[in-house]
Amino acid sequence: MLMMPFLNLQLGDRIVTLMAALVLVLQIAMVTQRWIVLHIRIFAAQSLFLAMIAATIAWFNHAPHLYIAAALTFVVKVILVPILFERLVKRMKIYEQIEPIVNVPISVAIAGGLTLVGYVVAASFYRPDEPGLGHNALAVAISLFLIGFFNMINRRKALTQVLALLSLENGLFLAAISLTYGMPLIVELGIFFDVLVAAMVLGILVYRIRETFESIDVSRLRRLRG
Amino acid sequence: MLLVALLFVPFATTAAAIFVRRRAAMEAVNLAGFAAVFLVAVALAARVLADGTVSLGNGFFYADSLSALVILLTASVALVCSAYSIGYLRDDQLSGALGDDASGMEQIAQIRMYYTLTPLFVFSMLFMAVANNLGVMWAAMEVTTLASIFLVTFYGKVTSLEAAWKYAIIGGVGLSMALFGTLVAYYAGHRLAGSESLSGLNWSVLVQHAAQLDKTSMRLAFVLILLGYGTKAGLAPMHTWKPDAYGEAPVPSAAILSTALLNCALYCLIRFYILASRCLGAEYPSRLLLLFGLLSMGVSVPFVLVQKNYRRLLAYHTIDHAGIMVTALGLGGALGSLGLMLHMTFHTIAKSLLFLCAGNVSQHFRTDLFSKIKGSVIRAMPLTGVVFLMAMLAIIGMPPFSLFQSEFLILRAAFDGGHVLTGVLFVLFGTGVFTGALLHVGGMILGPGGDTAVAARRPWRDGSVLALAAVLVVIGFWVPAPLFDLIRGAARVVSGQ
Repeated sequence: MLMMPFLNLQLGDRIVTLMAALVLVLQIAMVTQRWIVLHIRIFAAQSLFLAMIAATIAWFNHAPHLYIAAALTFVVKVILVPILFERLVKRMKIYEQIEPIVNVPISVAIAGGLTLVGYVVAASFYRPDEPGLGHNALAVAISLFLIGFFNMINRRKALTQVLALLSLENGLFLAAISLTYGMPLIVELGIFFDVLVAAMVLGILVYRIRETFESIDVSRLRRLRG
Repeated sequence: MLLVALLFVPFATTAAAIFVRRRAAMEAVNLAGFAAVFLVAVALAARVLADGTVSLGNGFFYADSLSALVILLTASVALVCSAYSIGYLRDDQLSGALGDDASGMEQIAQIRMYYTLTPLFVFSMLFMAVANNLGVMWAAMEVTTLASIFLVTFYGKVTSLEAAWKYAIIGGVGLSMALFGTLVAYYAGHRLAGSESLSGLNWSVLVQHAAQLDKTSMRLAFVLILLGYGTKAGLAPMHTWKPDAYGEAPVPSAAILSTALLNCALYCLIRFYILASRCLGAEYPSRLLLLFGLLSMGVSVPFVLVQKNYRRLLAYHTIDHAGIMVTALGLGGALGSLGLMLHMTFHTIAKSLLFLCAGNVSQHFRTDLFSKIKGSVIRAMPLTGVVFLMAMLAIIGMPPFSLFQSEFLILRAAFDGGHVLTGVLFVLFGTGVFTGALLHVGGMILGPGGDTAVAARRPWRDGSVLALAAVLVVIGFWVPAPLFDLIRGAARVVSGQ
């Protein structure tokens, strides 16, 4: 019986690692994706796994406030933001493919390299004396952050840049739950509120750019120099 | 009570602007709201001077001299800009800068947007300055970006959309780095007692246990924070959004962005600097700060020298001054901290005055380019011309104006601390900016006179410019004792002495 909590933790750790791996795979899938609607759905799926990771950690580590974070992730990032963006895409009638600046195979290779960097950085936080969930999750979180960053540079379309920013934020959320089992609740609430408002504000901005330039290609935004 | 009033008044001003119908009523509400905010800020500063710190709600809200100074500066700029914007927006409406919709409905909607977003923007800055919790402080900082994006797109031009996009994306990436830094700082303190509760991220708690924070994590946290809030402060090389946003936003908003928001970003940086220097010793954070500070000063020099647009010139000038203040923070110690706080105060006054003068010029000549201003400004607009030149002399550090004193203090801190290279570069970059700014603005104001008619009087704009100019002149010779006490108190918070 004494072994039970430990076994439980191990099981929890495995579940978290599995889902973190899926989150990472989806992030790399985002690097390769050319259709904007699929891009939005991959983001939604990634956020869904993230919410599940939060719920798993909440269950195995008895951190009840993480259930609220999981529920908020689900509502904001799996439901509200994707619906908002899909509507936006329909209204703007974007059907063309989005080409990354660096071609797809090289992009994937770069994403792989960034994952390695993530593991190296995360290793400095690893403490064997502290039992806990998700040491892999931290490495994945840092990789998400870096790949999200790369994805922002690598895409010329406004909406994909916003999605990259949001996936970068997903990396932060994963880092928060794996390092410290989340931030204090009021901070989490503030962050979710900000993410939701930011998604709406950026959505409106993307729409106005589309209206004015008849394109969401941000490489056309280059009048202001010097 | 004061803290509640400080946050409630701007929020109520925002709400009122939504429901009021006529333009005159919106103007009255806005002005009254910001006058009230200013009075509350003064009262708060007085309380802080008397009691040391003010806190509320179990330390959720917390104000010391540093916060009180930032709040006072924010409230002052907001009040002056509120009076100025009455004249500014009326002029825009008459001249058709808001679009020539016959019914006037769209123009009123646009003016309402301005009067709704500006108090919200100020609210988020004040909230940030009184938030004790570093995570809440971050969230408030993100709200400042969100509230000001649509102020940048105010004129709806192609260029303003581009500016707003850069501002939103670069600011967004910067703030996500700042959030990561906050998170790592939280982790650095997570083994302290009571870290699970909300107060685990409270600055006032962390600073007491700064020596026990995890050192490796704190190092990483400070780098991320410097990159993150440094982006908001417009430090090079993350400064590229700044000239665009300042050049495209309506002038009163640009004035708030370049003074109050800059102070707020520096405020966040200072809070983490205090934690980092108590945890790691001053050397590590100060080396990084000096690097970014001097880089920002250096980068702004060529852009000031070849600038064609006077609002962008002011923006590069702000980058230079952000660099000066970060350098002062990096020099640290009693002298550096005092120089930093004095410089923050003086820069806020002089730079907002410069933007308001630039707004007058821009609305009279209908251009932001030096080359298109035919005839000298001083003949067409005697008051604006004189004040513009005076404020320019003040901000490039001419004695007897106050910025000379603060820059001299920072320079002394550099040489006293043995940072000879920093001191030399500081003087070199300062000279470059001095030359460029004086050359361009002097030429614009005093240049060969055309036969332009003298502009009509504009009571709201001229009145606010004159009031601010009076403050600038007076403060050059005499800083009121309570204000100086507040500045010294803030410097003591920074240096920890």
